[in-house]
Amino acid sequence: MNELEPIRNGVDRQTLAKHENMTSLEVYDKYGAMAYGIILQILPQVHLAQEVLVSVFSSPQLKACNSYPFSFAACIIKLARAQAVEAKRKLMAIAPSSEHFPAAEASPEQIFELSFRQGYTPEEVAGKLNISKSEVLRSFHEYFKLYRNA
Amino acid sequence: MEAQEFIESGILEAHLLGLANKEEQDLVKQMIEENQGLADYLVDIEMDITRHFNGSAVSPPVGLREIIHLRSREFRQKEKHSFKQQPAEEDRRYLDVEVNDTHMKVHKFWRPAFIAVFILSKIFLIAGLYYYFKTVNQEQEIQKLKTEIQQVK
Repeated sequence: MNELEPIRNGVDRQTLAKHENMTSLEVYDKYGAMAYGIILQILPQVHLAQEVLVSVFSSPQLKACNSYPFSFAACIIKLARAQAVEAKRKLMAIAPSSEHFPAAEASPEQIFELSFRQGYTPEEVAGKLNISKSEVLRSFHEYFKLYRNA
Repeated sequence: MEAQEFIESGILEAHLLGLANKEEQDLVKQMIEENQGLADYLVDIEMDITRHFNGSAVSPPVGLREIIHLRSREFRQKEKHSFKQQPAEEDRRYLDVEVNDTHMKVHKFWRPAFIAVFILSKIFLIAGLYYYFKTVNQEQEIQKLKTEIQQVK
């Protein structure tokens, strides 16, 4: 199937693309649970995750989501990840942990885990798994394709 | 780059997840502008990604809502405060203008003070002259009386 053909998943496109000028609390009510889930995936420490969640929804960057060219949800995902990764980096600087990567089996899930949840850049993931950067990026596509077809 | 090839490259997903670099972000913008089909596909990926993360959503504790409410209110107040301060800073720029004026401005209360000083100085001058001429006159009178007494003797 050509992937350019629109895929209907029972979600209204208009509501996804629509940009309303919502207050922080309205945004929180709508996307708070999703953002908290993302933050907990990156930062499992509950108290830290809650601190990051508060900073996401009270940060001035949240206002910028009103003019984000894509959906508000995508902006929240980006923002929540960025702040959680930043908090994780600070935490790692204080208490470094010895993480090691299995050299073989660079599956889309593993690549997604390393880059989205562990906070590594695609270049770093490529270096750690001994694969090219384009393969890392392609894995993101594969990951969501598998999810869609699941 | 062909649209299908671009889709399979995973750059769109990387862009939406905040994992794309500047070059890739520019490429996404350019490709979407050129191809409407890609823009539609992007909305589909957005929906997939949103659904994916909604699947792992966790309800945050109730108290956090109130904290967010208070923090965002604090932020709005700070923003208002900085907005009020901004014009004052802009105005300050216009005060540094060089002026070739030889006049100076003083407070308006100096006006009656100067008038009072002027009038008092005149009074003292007149009084001074009056007593000076009076003294001279008295001395002449004394001198005249002295000579008359000597002549009588």
